[in-house]
Amino acid sequence: MTTSTFVKLDGIAKRWNGQLGVEGITLDIPEGSFTALLGPSGCGKSTTLRLLAGLELPDEGQILIDGKDVTTSAASDRNLSMVFQSYALFPHLSVAENVMFGLKVRRVPKQERLEKLHRALEITGLLGYEGRKPGELSGGQRQRVALARAIVAGQRLCLMDEPLSNLDAKLRNAVRKDIKKLQRDLGITVVYVTHDQTEAMSMADTVVLMKDGHIQQVGSPEDLYSRPNNTFVAEFVGAPPMALIESTALEGFGDDKTVGIRAENIQIVPAGTGRMRCKVNESEFLGAETLIGLDHDGTSGLCVLQPGLSLMPEGDEVEINFDDGNLHVFDDAGKRLAG
Amino acid sequence: MKSLTNFMDSFGAILLAIIWIAPLLFAFWAATHSTSDAVNLNLLSPWTLENFRVAWAGAPWLKYFLNTFMLVTIILIGQFFLTTLAGFAFAQLTFRGKDFVFILVLMQLFILPEVLIVENYAMVSRLGLFDTILGVGMPYMASAFGIFLMRQAFKGVPIELHEAARIEGCGLLGILWRVYVPLAKPTYLAYALVSVSTHWNNFLWPLIVTNSPDTRPLTVGLSIFGAPENGVDISIISAATMMSVAPLLIAFLIFQRQFVQAFLRAGIK
Repeated sequence: MTTSTFVKLDGIAKRWNGQLGVEGITLDIPEGSFTALLGPSGCGKSTTLRLLAGLELPDEGQILIDGKDVTTSAASDRNLSMVFQSYALFPHLSVAENVMFGLKVRRVPKQERLEKLHRALEITGLLGYEGRKPGELSGGQRQRVALARAIVAGQRLCLMDEPLSNLDAKLRNAVRKDIKKLQRDLGITVVYVTHDQTEAMSMADTVVLMKDGHIQQVGSPEDLYSRPNNTFVAEFVGAPPMALIESTALEGFGDDKTVGIRAENIQIVPAGTGRMRCKVNESEFLGAETLIGLDHDGTSGLCVLQPGLSLMPEGDEVEINFDDGNLHVFDDAGKRLAG
Repeated sequence: MKSLTNFMDSFGAILLAIIWIAPLLFAFWAATHSTSDAVNLNLLSPWTLENFRVAWAGAPWLKYFLNTFMLVTIILIGQFFLTTLAGFAFAQLTFRGKDFVFILVLMQLFILPEVLIVENYAMVSRLGLFDTILGVGMPYMASAFGIFLMRQAFKGVPIELHEAARIEGCGLLGILWRVYVPLAKPTYLAYALVSVSTHWNNFLWPLIVTNSPDTRPLTVGLSIFGAPENGVDISIISAATMMSVAPLLIAFLIFQRQFVQAFLRAGIK
């Protein structure tokens, strides 16, 4: 993997009738990397992808792909491919015709077209389905046709807009691995939009977390998990998300800060030795462990993980303890303080 | 009560069907019997094809058939071309005054073509298309109904397909040709059936614009053939009528299913 910048977004803004689309998006995406745009619905991640694809034009800023300014270029001139959430397969064309659609439009000679088709179908495991219509395929197969169409032309940049959201959970896991492997084997650069943090965290080299049209944090999955920039990131990333405690509820942190702590860093301790006394408000058995939700004034999302099956009755009082080293401290605006 | 309603439904439908088909059945009866037998409704009288032979010899039918065929084909081609482009513009493009222009097009739906006959006549003459098949077909090519139908069909195409085609390198006309047109096939079929049957049967306008056997379509030819001054022989006129409607009737019987389905699928969205 090279580290040179392949895609560059510089101060991109897009507004609709004064409404906020995205604002001040600045992002460097290295060649051969897997970048996930993550965020709740309406955060602008799809807009960012569409701006990159050329389906929308930005009101401000500059987009460079492979060193070329493509800010106002047509989608077809940007040398990229895209996988749509709904797959966008042409229902009147067979699998082979769907995959070769772009090659045909770009007048690639027939011989070359067929070779590329064969290779793309081989990679995606679709050999033997050439003649089928999309309507005769299962959801997973359609998804693979969409992937085959995205890789057939050998474009170096591939955009994916929630490509797994129409698959069932089991298939989603399998396809997730397939996409990751495909991206590595072909060495292409992938920009991937998702609202599912599991997808983003497990597949991406770099996760871009967005909210309300602004980037909240850019970093590796590990960065986002263990060094969240602000309370939004802290509460969005991780399952369960980080618990936030108002500093007034804890000693030694002043009274205008927020302290975050992850469930795995909290221990239940015998009465009298803990730092906080909480009430159990729910117990959830997850298989390998049990998630116990706790209630305390000035906290949100406080919970603790216990190994195995260890349900606790609601309303029980427990004491918890944690190390200062595992705490994340945010200022009154929710921004992370050094440390 | 429910069975009575059912009965009335079926009864009404059958009654309508009988009323509708009665003239056709009588024409068939008259065409296949001698004149006196036809008028007397003598059910045991012998069948004959003599009327068809006489009728066929009485006018340049082959030329008329060819003219009508050319006419509906030219109109259909012109309509497909214009309604496709206009429908696409109204469905997927943004331009200034789009809504206003679309309302103008829709207003055309409220105007009976007969009202415009004089104006159309003057226009066709100015263009030097008087007494030509193109002149007969021209006023119908920019069909408001067709534009509306195509707009509806194109609006039903998912926008992702449009965007996918854009990313794959298609220009606007390429997208229209490779994505929208194939997906609107049922609509084209339904529209073609309506258009062909309408213009096959059109009479008044061709009567006015055509002047010679070389351009006259079937309907006009038939009316001249059956005009009182040529002598009224009900059997021979019926035979000529049967010949005129036969191609359309046979086509309808063959494509009945597609005809109905096309309309269901092309339903207004």
